[in-house]
Amino acid sequence: MDLLPFFEWLDTSILADIAKAYGGVFVVVQTFHLLALSLLGGTVLVGDLRLLGVVMKDVPSQVVIQNTQKWFSVALVILILSGLFQAAAVAMKLYYNEMFWAKMTGLAAGIVFVYAIRRPLLLRFDHDTINPWALRLIAVSSMTIWFTVAASGRWIGFS
Amino acid sequence: MLNEWLLNRARWLDSMAWSTDLHESLYMYAWVETTHVLTLTVFLGMLFIIDLRMLGLTFTGVPASKIADRLDIPMLIGMVIMVVTGFILYFAIPVRSTQSIWFRIKVVLMIAAIANAFLFRAKMKAAAGTWDLDPKPPKNIRVGAGLSLALWSGVVITGRTIAYDWFDCHKELPYFMYWAAGCVDEMAAFQ
Repeated sequence: MDLLPFFEWLDTSILADIAKAYGGVFVVVQTFHLLALSLLGGTVLVGDLRLLGVVMKDVPSQVVIQNTQKWFSVALVILILSGLFQAAAVAMKLYYNEMFWAKMTGLAAGIVFVYAIRRPLLLRFDHDTINPWALRLIAVSSMTIWFTVAASGRWIGFS
Repeated sequence: MLNEWLLNRARWLDSMAWSTDLHESLYMYAWVETTHVLTLTVFLGMLFIIDLRMLGLTFTGVPASKIADRLDIPMLIGMVIMVVTGFILYFAIPVRSTQSIWFRIKVVLMIAAIANAFLFRAKMKAAAGTWDLDPKPPKNIRVGAGLSLALWSGVVITGRTIAYDWFDCHKELPYFMYWAAGCVDEMAAFQ
């Protein structure tokens, strides 16, 4: 599926006009993107490090996952909306940027992983009934995916 | 006086070969900056969880002091790496950073955020046992947590805006801005 028409539309949209004309607005949105990234990073790390038995060992892992899932979703929504706004400013440049597509691939993988695998498994089943290695595998996969998304996102600016 | 002293120190750092090498390196600067941003997410991510608990917005069934205590070490690990990489980034571009109004506000906000963290911690320890299990902590704790979130958000905003040249010394600015940004040469020319 070629997404070029979408990027061409985005490049001429009102979002692009605002992002290009008002540097201050762009910076504020960019900051929200970073703050949301931090919140997402915090929720992912706390949950995954707990599954690995590194932090909060005296709090049941199920409780940690339950309490971080909502804030993960809040962070993800802010990240996507603020990311869309930032992308509008340089839509055509991003379309031809390999690092951007690496990030988008990672993001898509992350969303599928969280909502199709991690969340259903960790919220529906008692963690004591899940193979500990499966829990560790989920934690390591999750951290790897989100690290890739964050790092490739930063690298867009250098590529 | 302070502006001159800061600028002289920055120029001294700038004269070092390592500073130039780092600034002009193809990948090293990018790696350091990426590490800075990624460890920011570790530090701030842990801080968000602690502050959200103190605001009564998450982990309400877990004692507040337990959340703060257990996430302390990963938060500090993130902070140490973030501070070290931050110093390296400053070392790579010392003069422009010293004369950046955003960098200066960032440093002030960081000092305020660290002071707030110490006060907040003292209040938490003093009140240990009295509200630890309350889903919603007392007002002074919630205010401290809100202030912490606001101050660190300010640090991120000003950190991000350092990259923009809106108020750089080479721009035409009011005298006050030259003074606030430490544009020593421009201030002299103004007079």
